[in-house]
Amino acid sequence: MIAVHARPRVGSNRKPWLSRQRRGTLLRALAVGGYVVLTVFPFYWMVITIFKANTDLYNPANNPLWFNAAPTFANVQYLFEQTRFVQWMINSMVIGVAVVAITLALAVPAGYALARLRLRGAQHLGIIIFATYLIPPTLLFIPLTRVVHTLGLQNTIWSLVVVLPTISIPFTVWLLTGFFKNVPFEIEEAALVDGATRWQAVVHVVLPISRAGLAAAGMFAFAISLQAFLYPLVFTSSTAVKPVTLGVVTDLIRGDVFFWGSLMAGALFAGLPVALLFNYFLDDFVEGITGGAIK
Amino acid sequence: MVTIAQRISAQQSYEQRPLWPRLAPYLLILPAGIYVLALIGFPLVLGIWYSLTDVTVARDGTFVGLKNFVTVTRDPTFILAVRNTLIIAVFATAAKITLSVALAFLMLQAFPGRKLMRALFVLPWTVPIALSTIAWKWMFHSQYSVVNWILLHAGVIDQNIQWLGTPVAAMFAVILVSTWRAVPFGAITVLAGLTAVPADVIDAARIDGANWWSRFISVIVPIIAPILFIAVLFDLIFTLTELTVVYLLTGGGPVDQTQVLANYALQVGVVGSQLGQGAAIAIYMLPLLLVLTVVALRNIARREGL
Repeated sequence: MIAVHARPRVGSNRKPWLSRQRRGTLLRALAVGGYVVLTVFPFYWMVITIFKANTDLYNPANNPLWFNAAPTFANVQYLFEQTRFVQWMINSMVIGVAVVAITLALAVPAGYALARLRLRGAQHLGIIIFATYLIPPTLLFIPLTRVVHTLGLQNTIWSLVVVLPTISIPFTVWLLTGFFKNVPFEIEEAALVDGATRWQAVVHVVLPISRAGLAAAGMFAFAISLQAFLYPLVFTSSTAVKPVTLGVVTDLIRGDVFFWGSLMAGALFAGLPVALLFNYFLDDFVEGITGGAIK
Repeated sequence: MVTIAQRISAQQSYEQRPLWPRLAPYLLILPAGIYVLALIGFPLVLGIWYSLTDVTVARDGTFVGLKNFVTVTRDPTFILAVRNTLIIAVFATAAKITLSVALAFLMLQAFPGRKLMRALFVLPWTVPIALSTIAWKWMFHSQYSVVNWILLHAGVIDQNIQWLGTPVAAMFAVILVSTWRAVPFGAITVLAGLTAVPADVIDAARIDGANWWSRFISVIVPIIAPILFIAVLFDLIFTLTELTVVYLLTGGGPVDQTQVLANYALQVGVVGSQLGQGAAIAIYMLPLLLVLTVVALRNIARREGL
């Protein structure tokens, strides 16, 4: 999506002193490498912590950066056998899939209508829906407790299934409007000329062409539902109904006792898959959020 | 021109088909509209109403005017929360912009392993914030802080810092984690903007003998400014209202020294069951958010050609 990879090196074939160019490249690589050490170090520290024996971990005399005693699976074992980690992962998956389904079911028609159909004030409607993306959960969580209670959903995973699409829908409508606008109109017209109904044209022509956009939108909704923290914190309290992001950071702390090894294991095992998925759709996401600014 | 004209006439004939009633577009938008109205619009109004009543978890409220807004300001914690929210927003935003632009420039040109580097440096942004914050809490542990260990062994400090136990260090830690998390996104956004600068524009500036700083200010800043501006506004809105880092890293402590409005609203409104006062604390952020949102949307609307 972003053409950075194809961009030619600035002035690379114009400068006679190549060695200076090379030195610049090397310095740049070193600077980025240094920054990457900062971004990656917490994850390295998590991995080390996960496999350290407690006697090794809680000894200030030991080098914390490497193993001073044999690595152990005790922390991982504790996470899987003594906590509801598996249940939390399942909860998060169910919530994530349901949020994606609701988001796409509502955002695809809205995005299509805003992109394609002659609609009075379509662009303003689009901006208004997008504007709701900027209304933060902080302003909404207190009144939403009453809404969730009225619906009888308090302390269930369904409270999150209902509430989390409010974060994903506005942005997804915006994203999909952009994608549908990029589908050449002639392709749709051709299908109609061939005798297809508008519905058939959309289902068999427009949606397949836009599948990259649909995937990005669905991925975004999924990531949003897994990133959420405030709504799970407010709407779910029983161990059995927590999503993984909440369960890990609340149930592995008993009073003042932090189970650091198992905490890091839960955080890493839940966090890395989300990161990998998100990374895959990163370019689509950035293009969506920066929208018209790049055009 | 010819193709545009053809396209318009094609669209007209297409829209005039009786199969496609005029109401259809509205029907397609309606479900999303109702959802957003019911679960964002309605709670927003309900929140404003709550802030004007003495509602608690236990009972429905009656109208009390602006009493909540006055009551909450009498608590010194509120003043601390306002102060800290603004400090964090200003310092974290400044740090995020500086580092994002620097990182974007470093990533702009090719070097070996750049794709791998990008995959690695976006990690802080793609991992759920609650999970990475708990890792930072462990790194800042009062006894076993790996950050202290490294600084001690590098000779930077000569005794352990109580990162989360002293006010200034705790604020620094909150700003650090918030910045660490947001820079990848900022850098990628700026990078997207930078690719809009044609290579020969940068080249031309170089040939004219401009040094890198004047080239940066006169050629590149004007081009990336619009996208940077939107990114900053978005980030400000989310930083001002964010509570995950504070809630998990410091809990607002030590003794409310890192308390922020969002977390304070949670404590008063949900933990303390004072829905009305909690809503009032949250609503205090509304005017500033409204200004930021309107500026951001006007900017986007202009770019979309409205």
